[in-house]
Amino acid sequence: MAVSFKEVTKRFPDGTTALDRLDLEFDLGEFIVLLGPSGSGKTTACRLLAGLEAPSGGRIEIGGKDITDLPPRFRDIGMVFQNYALYSHKSVFENIAYPLRIRKVAAPEIERLVKEVADLLRIGDYLHRKPAQLSGGQAQRVAVARALVWEPAICLMDEPLSNLDALLRLHMRTELNRLHRKLDKTFVFVTHDQEEAMTLATRIAVLRDGKLVQFDEPRTIYRRPANRFVAEFMGRPAMNTIDGMVEGGVFRAGDIACAVDCADGPLMLGIRPEQIELADHATTSSVTLTVDVKEAIEPDTLLIFQNRGNSVTLRTQSNCDAIEPGQPVGLRFPKEALHYFDARSGERLR
Amino acid sequence: MKTMNQQSRGRFLLDRGASLPLMLPATLLVVVFLVGPFYYMAYTAMTDLSFANPDQKGAFVGLDNFRKLMRDDQIFWSSFWLTIRFVVVSVTIEFVLGFALAWLIWRFIERQRLLTTLLLVPMMLAPVAVGLIWRLLLQGDFGMVTYYLRKLGILSQASAVFSSPGLVMPTIIAIDVWQWTPFVTLIILAGLMSLPKTPFEAATMDGAGPWRQFVDIMLPLLRPIIALVLLLRGIDAFKEFDKVFIMTGGGPGTVSELLSIYAYRVNFKNWNLGYGAAVSFMVYLVVLILCSIFYKAVYWKSSAERQ
Amino acid sequence: MNRSYKILAIGVLACVLIIALTPYVWMLLTSFKGRLDILSPEPRWLFTPTLSNYPAVFIDKDYLPLVFNSLIISLGSTVLSVVIGAPAAYVFARSDFAGKEDLFFFFLTTRMAPPISIAVPLFLFFTTLGLTDTVYAVVIAHTSFNLSLVVWMMRGFFAEIPKEIDEAAMMDGRSRLGAFVRVIVPLAAPGLAATAVLCFILSWNEFLYAFILVAFEGRPLTVGIPGLITPHGTLWGQVAAVAVVATLPILVFTFLVQKHLVRGLTFGAVKG
Repeated sequence: MAVSFKEVTKRFPDGTTALDRLDLEFDLGEFIVLLGPSGSGKTTACRLLAGLEAPSGGRIEIGGKDITDLPPRFRDIGMVFQNYALYSHKSVFENIAYPLRIRKVAAPEIERLVKEVADLLRIGDYLHRKPAQLSGGQAQRVAVARALVWEPAICLMDEPLSNLDALLRLHMRTELNRLHRKLDKTFVFVTHDQEEAMTLATRIAVLRDGKLVQFDEPRTIYRRPANRFVAEFMGRPAMNTIDGMVEGGVFRAGDIACAVDCADGPLMLGIRPEQIELADHATTSSVTLTVDVKEAIEPDTLLIFQNRGNSVTLRTQSNCDAIEPGQPVGLRFPKEALHYFDARSGERLR
Repeated sequence: MKTMNQQSRGRFLLDRGASLPLMLPATLLVVVFLVGPFYYMAYTAMTDLSFANPDQKGAFVGLDNFRKLMRDDQIFWSSFWLTIRFVVVSVTIEFVLGFALAWLIWRFIERQRLLTTLLLVPMMLAPVAVGLIWRLLLQGDFGMVTYYLRKLGILSQASAVFSSPGLVMPTIIAIDVWQWTPFVTLIILAGLMSLPKTPFEAATMDGAGPWRQFVDIMLPLLRPIIALVLLLRGIDAFKEFDKVFIMTGGGPGTVSELLSIYAYRVNFKNWNLGYGAAVSFMVYLVVLILCSIFYKAVYWKSSAERQ
Repeated sequence: MNRSYKILAIGVLACVLIIALTPYVWMLLTSFKGRLDILSPEPRWLFTPTLSNYPAVFIDKDYLPLVFNSLIISLGSTVLSVVIGAPAAYVFARSDFAGKEDLFFFFLTTRMAPPISIAVPLFLFFTTLGLTDTVYAVVIAHTSFNLSLVVWMMRGFFAEIPKEIDEAAMMDGRSRLGAFVRVIVPLAAPGLAATAVLCFILSWNEFLYAFILVAFEGRPLTVGIPGLITPHGTLWGQVAAVAVVATLPILVFTFLVQKHLVRGLTFGAVKG
């Protein structure tokens, strides 16, 4: 059983194209994260799958069955909204029970199912309350409970954590992870937060300007980003991307010179801040740059260097007490940590 | 935190002594010209003051007027129930029609401005003018509407609407509906326009069809506005005077003598001011009760939700 | 499918519009009709228009002063209500004191009070003062109900202006009152204008207070109209002419404040 978007296009009446011939296919049971900056089309993709919007072109299929024109209620899909969208006039119990009442489930059965899902989400004590009396985290759980209680095949979540404060967000992230393992359901999760995507997803679909940029497991996305956009979007601080020239197997850009496995010509070199190494003493394989700013984000330290107008960031766990801004420091760019991108298109080379 | 902050700001304003002079004129005016009259009315209601009978110079009679009103005054009670029927029937019809219209406009019309503006005309006319217009339209000899009603066979040739006792109240209700349905439409439409989208999307995802969404989501969300419309209309309809006074003056006989017209007759035609005050007092009492319901049901509720 | 529903809806709404507007249009037409056209048993939609009804009633029957009375009463009570009511509304919007909401509600009850109940004592009161049959009595009576409209509506408009604006004005060296008059009132001007227009409309349309308080000298148009109706031989052309003059300005005003009308009609409870 697979969910597939086939050349799905969505244009809004105001002329913006939210999705541009999107092709995406994933299996039921996965935890798919749609990741991208605002305006990338991720929420639109989610709402198209839900049936809240109709595509302007293309098809959406579930298990080989075309559901493009199927009303939402026949799609077997539940949804958690960004602002929770709880029914303010109904109690928590009635909020969760609502999908069951619509489906005319018998009262005792409703009671049982609501209790069950409420216990799973640890909101069993609040069932009699009204949504206005809930904290953000509790409201979030109620929304999730409501989307899951009738056991739809797919559960959509449109930026469900973005209205929570930082600590609670981490906590709910863990909960969702646990929930997915336990329920073995298909989750489709929309976010702009790469960290959420990394921690939750079985596979991440990175979107940009309505197009699918990369669709892979988190580790692959991190280790082999398809292009400069993905490379810079995933990981904090962002990957260093340095424009330069390769001459005779040596990449040069400003004060940087390092050996690469690339043909001669212009190249964009990428290296993650955490993979640049501090060289204890200058060797032939190292580069010397001047420290511009030092930021201690305990226990790590960020060192930001100036390289002829461009900055290079390094993240290290080693002791940097001795290093001060203005001081030259030797750096090593390990060959296995280097990413090569086409200087013009930004696409990954090899 | 927030309320404390607001409170301290409020205190600050009061400390500076600015709010008293700002507040005082308004409060004084209301006290002098509304509370004063209210107590005077309550007092007069316990006297036998009458301009028609020189013997009754306003001797204190206690609750005699009210006793007489409650026990013996059949005209009072018949006009009381007439008014209640008028309020219930006309407000119900106005609500159902007004809601339906608002829904139609909300659902199907993109450019609502011109349409709603034109719809407003009946309710913005002076009620006296409304009474006149309909009196003209329903004239027995040359009324335009009378002519078409006869043509359609709804009205018999010889009869005129305002001289047929059985037709008077239905006609007055119809005219009230004509005048005030736009009010309901306008306010319900404002309510519909301000509805958040997400609860409906959530209900869609929960599997609710259009009808369930209407009953389970839309009506409950509109509840405060519905209560508001019903109460405002109820209060106004209960006070109805101008139109009916102009069109029928309460007649023929007392067929259309609503409570405020009865009160007018007792006070300013019979000049029986003591007893008239008692009648006026009863009208006020009912309005006050409706008004408190309005306050509790609508204003508190919405201000609580706003915070 | 959807399209045909829409056409149906437009059809229904068009019928409603016709029903809503035809009576008024008929009144307009009648004011330009000669006697024979009015009295024709069969309604005449097409006729030779005449302007004679207007001078006949406003000059010959001396109804022109009534227009001025209406204007004086409406303007007077509007100005009074706004000048007295807006500062009170500002206090309601900005400060907290014990019993604030009760006092606020108390203002509303004055708006809701049935005129027939208040009119008798007011009548006796003005008789004592010797003010009956003057526009002043009506101005004051109208102010009492318009005042609460101003207080209720303007509280909302003032509350929408961030408190920080007052505070910034005070930091710039203005007093509380200075901040209100020089900064807040100009910011609230659109709301204030809408409120004033609504007051004007309500006062202009009011009948019962004026009917009871003035018999002849100070009577406004609304009170003058019934005087034209006689059991026999009512001159409907003239009645219609007066009615047109009494309603047309209001309709123009209505279109001006339509944006704020919902709020005004619901005492600020619905923002519209």
